[in-house]
Amino acid sequence: MPHSLEVLIEIELPTGDVVGVHRRRFAGGVGPHVVLVAGIRGDTPEGTRVLHAVGRHLESVADRLTGTVDLYPCLNPLAAHQGARNWPGLDVDLNRRFPGRHDGHAPDRVAARFMAEVEGADQVIELRGAHPAFRLAPHARVGKDQLVAVERASTANVRALWTSSASPGAGSLEEAIPGLIGLLGGVGNRLTDGVGLELADGLLNLLAVMGVIPEEDLPFHWAAVQRPAVVDDEHVVDLRSMRGGLFIPAVGAWAEVDAGDVVGEVIEPISGEVREELRAPAAGRVLALREEPVIYPGNLVCRLVLA
Amino acid sequence: MTDHPFFELESPYRGWYRLHRLSFGSGGPVTTLVAGIHGNECNGTYALNLLAGRLRLQPPRGTVHLVPCVNLFGAEEGRKRWPFDDRDINEVFPGDADGSPVERVAEAVMRASEGQLCVDLQTGSAVVHEVPHVRAPLTGPVLALGQAAGLPVLWRRPAEQFDDGLLGAWRAAGRTALVLRGGRGGSLDVDDAKTMARALVRLLAQAGHLHAPEPAPPTIVTEKMLDYRCEVGGFFVPEVRPGEPVVVGQVLGTLRAAIGGETIESFHATAAGVVLAVRVYPVVHGRELVVRVAQSTT
Repeated sequence: MPHSLEVLIEIELPTGDVVGVHRRRFAGGVGPHVVLVAGIRGDTPEGTRVLHAVGRHLESVADRLTGTVDLYPCLNPLAAHQGARNWPGLDVDLNRRFPGRHDGHAPDRVAARFMAEVEGADQVIELRGAHPAFRLAPHARVGKDQLVAVERASTANVRALWTSSASPGAGSLEEAIPGLIGLLGGVGNRLTDGVGLELADGLLNLLAVMGVIPEEDLPFHWAAVQRPAVVDDEHVVDLRSMRGGLFIPAVGAWAEVDAGDVVGEVIEPISGEVREELRAPAAGRVLALREEPVIYPGNLVCRLVLA
Repeated sequence: MTDHPFFELESPYRGWYRLHRLSFGSGGPVTTLVAGIHGNECNGTYALNLLAGRLRLQPPRGTVHLVPCVNLFGAEEGRKRWPFDDRDINEVFPGDADGSPVERVAEAVMRASEGQLCVDLQTGSAVVHEVPHVRAPLTGPVLALGQAAGLPVLWRRPAEQFDDGLLGAWRAAGRTALVLRGGRGGSLDVDDAKTMARALVRLLAQAGHLHAPEPAPPTIVTEKMLDYRCEVGGFFVPEVRPGEPVVVGQVLGTLRAAIGGETIESFHATAAGVVLAVRVYPVVHGRELVVRVAQSTT
């Protein structure tokens, strides 16, 4: 069975409705087993779109697959139904429940079942999308000491690869699976032109590099794949506002900036008076930019990767 | 008494956020009591306001600081988290003076927390009503202090259960940190708040701030909690109330079909004890807690 759609787990709702968490499996040989998961938070539809784009291509090459690819298009369907970040009703962040519990409430059981299913997989990749407050340039995030994952992520057609030493959030998938590749990009709760295609192409290329699909079946030439700027924590700089107000960006995501360039200003929302100008401390590119304009002192407004 | 706006944060479209700290007395010993880290937990706020009334009439020996409501903006909207970015202040302690808004608030709460004894007042979630109780480590001075509070239940838990949030940050800073919980989020449970306020008076007496502690009712000190969870989702109808003593076999509640009302599951006490928590919002999902009983150990 080269392609199957399975119900991973069914969630019974108090009113009698049943919601399924699904897996699409593309199996074609004894090669690597790769897991792609999206929708851990319900406000990240970009990842779901990317997985369906990947799935369409895998359907077209299903008879030539040399490994197994599992797609989990949406692990948190109830939240996605509302465009909400957390599991509704319980108000639980699924990305704080890993590795989960088989005897717990629904989010715990989904997390536990997913962890059981991905045990032994050669690579797990999370399509993390973006927080609704930010616009992100397509990039990958991997633990700095996960050398195999870092190498693989460098083939994912992203603009930047952030190898981070920071401790992952407690209960996050990244904590439960240290070799996880996180792919980010776009804006939360929206689909962003270009981002989905870039990430889908990147995943297909990564699958080719891992030997799951033949390189000649890629819908593009491998030479078209971007090589990311690889940066560690020291080369990622957060700019935070000192004042509250409306943040008006002066640049776009992945814009190139020089030291001293204005990346945006904070204005007083009624009078329009400029309260603060935020400037790049060094040359680099804009990895993340505040999308929701209302800010308090201390809010992150821009994240730069330094040149 | 002084009302010192301990920390301010500029807010777009409205007045500044201010962290209020009410201070009574002067010199040592010094104790700080904090409530309202979650904006919808009003019982702690009311308990501290009741205590403030008492301290106005009976100034303490030493200094007592009260922070009645940390998450004022959340309280205005009945929300647990900071409304603007939906972040939980209790997840960012010890905070960061140069960080995001909630991190700055958390850092300010840490600075406002002076003295050796620090007490955090909490409320149950918005769907669960809890009897006023103390949570304390299995051994040590905090346990003895918790017993002095004289609340109906003292829940002894492994020390690592207190490593997170404000309590964890206080402990990491070497403070004697205690948590009192009671009532339900999103509502004011006047009797629970009064019970907590009386417990605070006893604690302050134990800490040397006040004279003539009020006599405490009996406390169940236990580490054994019996959690009753529904196997499937439905409509939970409780038969007991928080603080009610139960005996073996007593009906605690029933789970019914949300539409039609047929009984799906009945819950019976498997040991004697006191009801610590009851699900009060009836629509429940599978494996959710519906009743928690503090088991009698004697």
